Amino acid sequence: MNDAIKIRLLQGDPIIHDVRSVKLPPLFRGLPRIEDKECQAGCTKCSEVCPTNAINLNPVQIDLGLCVFCPLCEEVCPEKIIHFTNEYHTVVDSREKLIITKQVKSISPEIASQKIRKYFGKSLKLREISAGGCNGCELELNALSNVNFDLGRYGIEFVASPRHADGIVITGPLTQNMTNAIELCYEAVPNPKIIILFGACAISGGIFQNSDSIQSNFLEENKIDLYIPGCPPHPLTFINGLLDWLDKK
Amino acid sequence: MSLQLQNNQRFDVSSIQFLTVDDFQNNVRSALSNGYRIIALTPIDKNIPEKIIAVVTDNASSSINIIGGQFDKSKLEFESFANEFPQTNYFECELSENYGYVPLNHPWLRPVRKQNVILGNKPYHFYKLEGEEVHEVAVGPIHAGVIEPGHFRFQCHGELVYNLEINLGYQHRGVEKLLLQSNSDQRIILSESIAGDTTIGHTFAHCSAIESLTQTQLSLRAEVIRTIASEIERIAMHLSGLGGVANDVGFALPSSSYGRLRTLAINSLLALCGSRSGRGLFIYGGVRFDFNDDIINVVKKNLEVIRNDVAEINNYLFSSIGVLTRFEDTGSVSNDLAKTIGLVGLTARASALEEDARINFPYSAYRYNPVSMITLSSGDVFARARLRALEIDESLKFIFDQMDNLPSGELKSNVGAIKNNSGVVSIVEGWRGEIVHIAFTNENGNLTQYKIKDPSFNNWYGLSLALRKTAISDFPLCNKSFDLSYAGHDL
Ligand code: SF4
Ligand code: SF4
Repeated sequence: MNDAIKIRLLQGDPIIHDVRSVKLPPLFRGLPRIEDKECQAGCTKCSEVCPTNAINLNPVQIDLGLCVFCPLCEEVCPEKIIHFTNEYHTVVDSREKLIITKQVKSISPEIASQKIRKYFGKSLKLREISAGGCNGCELELNALSNVNFDLGRYGIEFVASPRHADGIVITGPLTQNMTNAIELCYEAVPNPKIIILFGACAISGGIFQNSDSIQSNFLEENKIDLYIPGCPPHPLTFINGLLDWLDKK
Repeated sequence: MSLQLQNNQRFDVSSIQFLTVDDFQNNVRSALSNGYRIIALTPIDKNIPEKIIAVVTDNASSSINIIGGQFDKSKLEFESFANEFPQTNYFECELSENYGYVPLNHPWLRPVRKQNVILGNKPYHFYKLEGEEVHEVAVGPIHAGVIEPGHFRFQCHGELVYNLEINLGYQHRGVEKLLLQSNSDQRIILSESIAGDTTIGHTFAHCSAIESLTQTQLSLRAEVIRTIASEIERIAMHLSGLGGVANDVGFALPSSSYGRLRTLAINSLLALCGSRSGRGLFIYGGVRFDFNDDIINVVKKNLEVIRNDVAEINNYLFSSIGVLTRFEDTGSVSNDLAKTIGLVGLTARASALEEDARINFPYSAYRYNPVSMITLSSGDVFARARLRALEIDESLKFIFDQMDNLPSGELKSNVGAIKNNSGVVSIVEGWRGEIVHIAFTNENGNLTQYKIKDPSFNNWYGLSLALRKTAISDFPLCNKSFDLSYAGHDL
């Protein structure tokens, strides 16, 4: 008993009280900023070096759905036009919003429809499907329930069965071998239901986009509600994105 | 008859002798009889399946031995080693699945990752047990928690498990094939994503392999930063494993405390390189980020909290009668069994096998700054949990020593072109155990083969056998104490 109290005291108050305005270390690679400068004539260094083909040129654009935040483009740019900030508020509700240009200084989802907020605003239960993920994304989703992030306090939880869920979170590039399981699991979730994609792999295949062992038809056949970029995304990115979308606090 | 090498030693492909099938068989058999352990069975060129090598290692001499075999293209068959040496069974299944080999009289030939292809979408026939009061439990591919997919089939008599068959491959995304098609930047990102919980471990093995093929010499500083990062990863994942087993016996306070400490460990990597899993740290020839005074302070502060608190939490966990009752004699693997089936890493050391690549096949900064071999003998959940606690202490000691004595040197050395007609075997001790990366090049210096072995490839077999005669309700606890990777297995 005494030991238990001691351990509890050691625990202190580890919870992040204000998840909205944590300052992550300067090296953390979040939302990139593209400076309003001209590229050197004919320079294609960043797009050539990008391992996931996330960059388009003239003018420079980064697709955060493909980006694995490696940061090779930042390293090779002779004009220092690309710079990764430590901004982790990067969840969006449409694929187009993940395209970062010179003009884009911040991104966030629209507030979900009245109907969605009415259904899910107070209690949102999610079933996670790991589909070819490397376990990097899964670890960060698990971290959401620890004493630091404590996702449960916002009424958002991961559940053991799709029957108990209001939606699914997919990680990984959707492998061929998971195709059936994904369909079955999604079907088992009662309507209305949402789909969240967590990580570069789920959104675009990421570094696995050219593999012939992946099969992402499911994403084309169903409406995606939220895109969470990163490799893996930071837990705070997830929390903030959902709070923004559900218009909580 | 075999080519003897050290860890990360580049060699000419021409120095491998490709023996006749009979000689190949005899050599492999005699090596295994002498206590050598198999770590790979693979062609040296993806497109020339008839020329294969068996790679076997010997701890006593720290040697890696390559035995080559030349088969007849139309007759890719050999007498299976698996009846005599069960450790080879899964390697043979893999060779068979990928290249069409037939290991004659193999006791249990089954799909490894590509069951859809191998079985033409027909259902796989699990081992079956029949009789009154016998029942079967099927779990997965999607499990209850936020974890990777796999299918488990239990044959039980009441609560007692008679057999557990584990069927994997759901995470198969073709890593090895992609590595051959990729450029150097893509290869590093791919190796970071082989198993995202062992980002440092696999990237370490990959970079060492390529650096050896390009004959790149790293500075001591870069080597030390790599090994520190690798020990931080070990601490983080061991904390996570301890939290997991505590949680599985319903002991919430230690479980959440380990979780809190794990955050400090991974945030130390975040401070060093901007990623909680250590992505972006490794580049060919060294590391991308350095320890400056600010970062050293953050990391030391975090690790000091861990050092202090983990001692208290361990005491609490391992002195609870309730916990010990659940941990002891649960999911035991005897030393003999562990050896026979070729367990590696933490799981092997928990069964008193001295298997630790940092010591047996020293690489990088571990050559100058050794760590100790720690083993326990009971081979049960207790040993696998307790060993984590002991290894955390050892890793903390290593890191503090190194951080106080950081050598100077360039972060990144120049990397030349990949040598042609070469091969290399790179072994790293990830937090789970032995990681092996094997690479071969052709006359143009292009990769012709890239073979990866995660420790999970060896150890899933162990989990399946450890469950026999155990209560099915102990499964989560056994599973967590092994803590194996699906992605690393499925590749
Ligand atoms: S940081 Fe993103 S956009 Fe830049 S090179 Fe890496 S993957 Fe491409
Ligand atoms: S996005 Fe990155 S961390 Fe997530 S599963 Fe893919 S490779 Fe792993």
